Amino acid sequence: MLPYTEGHWRGLTYTRQQFVREYENDCKPDENRNKGASRWSHCRKRGADGSLRKSHAVEEPGKCSQSSRRPESFTTPESEGPVSRVKNWGDEVEAEEMRSNVQRDMHRYRRRILEADFPQRDRKISSGSSDSRDSRDSKESPAKGDIETDEATLIRRQKQINYGKNTLAYDGYIKEVPKHMRQPGVHPKTPNKFKKYSRRSWDQQIKLWRVKLHAWDPPAEEGSDVQQIEVIDLGEIMDFELDVECSADTESKCPTSSGASLSLAKDSFTGTPKKMMKIEDTEMS
Amino acid sequence: METSSKEEYTIQSFDLETQKLLKTALKDPGSVDLEKVSNVIVDQSLKDQIFSREAGRICYTIVQAEAKQTNGNVFRRNLLNRLQQEFKAREETRKRSTQEWVCLVSFICNIFDYLKVNNIPMMALVHPVYDCLFRLAQSDALQNEEEVDCLVLQLHRIGDQLEKMNMQLMDELFNLLRDGFLLQDLSSMGRLLLLEILEFRAGGWTLSETAQKYYYSEVTD
Repeated sequence: MLPYTEGHWRGLTYTRQQFVREYENDCKPDENRNKGASRWSHCRKRGADGSLRKSHAVEEPGKCSQSSRRPESFTTPESEGPVSRVKNWGDEVEAEEMRSNVQRDMHRYRRRILEADFPQRDRKISSGSSDSRDSRDSKESPAKGDIETDEATLIRRQKQINYGKNTLAYDGYIKEVPKHMRQPGVHPKTPNKFKKYSRRSWDQQIKLWRVKLHAWDPPAEEGSDVQQIEVIDLGEIMDFELDVECSADTESKCPTSSGASLSLAKDSFTGTPKKMMKIEDTEMS
Repeated sequence: METSSKEEYTIQSFDLETQKLLKTALKDPGSVDLEKVSNVIVDQSLKDQIFSREAGRICYTIVQAEAKQTNGNVFRRNLLNRLQQEFKAREETRKRSTQEWVCLVSFICNIFDYLKVNNIPMMALVHPVYDCLFRLAQSDALQNEEEVDCLVLQLHRIGDQLEKMNMQLMDELFNLLRDGFLLQDLSSMGRLLLLEILEFRAGGWTLSETAQKYYYSEVTD
């Protein structure tokens, strides 16, 4: 028996066999290193060498073999899409809910865009989805057809947003700063999942957003401003230490989760390199 | 959030300690072991016929309360997974005890009725529910009044919703029922129950006035 026959990854049940099969499908023998099958291979649109990977359905691995269905079942379920081999109802319903929420958000968003194009009455502050409120970006104003509609993408993005919103920092933030008081650039704004962005751009926006949210992390006794400054200082210190000591030790007291985020934190608050600049602009409304 | 009187009534079948647990779960779900709560509910619904038909409402309330309080769905997840286990073991359950089997079906259907996702029934439950009903429509089950009774009860309650989710399966199910009615040696009660449900569906999931009178009024001779 294989020591690790099934893995749970992002709520999916995934047998090692399937994993290996898909890895073999993905890799050409001479490009092993660049398209290596890590657990996250399926998340990446491109391999490390930059070439587009064969795309897989984001959520579910492989196709369901209906032969796994017990013979005494009377119904042959028609899958709504690729289905993982072993599914539990809890996960299935959560996935349904996610899909349904995303569809609902999309309808609301479309209505909001239409209203923006054809304002018919005074805009009310709605209590609906707060992620995708802004349809007025002059730079990125989506034409009616030009929004992200791919369900798998929207679900993936929504999950990332949920991770960020499921934090004490976010809770603290929304309590402290009512939405109508938010100042662009100063206050973090949830990326709009309906706008068309490349995968990299989107992931970057999420990272920046989450870093900004850390300013409202609970341990801060003296309030958010001090916390922000702390982040910057640590960032500078980290870089310095790395340069001088070539230390691989990135253990830090900074609340951000990775070394990469640290330098982002520093960059976004003190000096904005060109690449960051563009994203900052897009974030602002 | 006050426990409504309907919920109060439903949980009276539990011992006092469990009643307390459930009441707390309804008001302050974050403070209790929701996995335990879901197990308690499932266990009871397999034993208590009345509870099995009404437990959906309590479950719904707990799900809503948890979502509102902690934005979580621990209760729903545990409930569904436990239900799935019971569903997988349904044939053994049926062999062991018809009563338990019938309770299981009632409970699954009740959950289907109450636990909706954005006001849409849970798609994950559609085939399992149909599986149960198909099982009840098999010839051995049709001989058993308890099972026929369960079958028609579920169809009365959720038939129209089930049909919307999958018309083809409902057609197949009713073909079985029609065949059973015509070809099988059923008790007169069994036959009556089937006839009523056949008419019920034919009438668009409602009973015409004449049919209502025919099936449900007392005959004074």
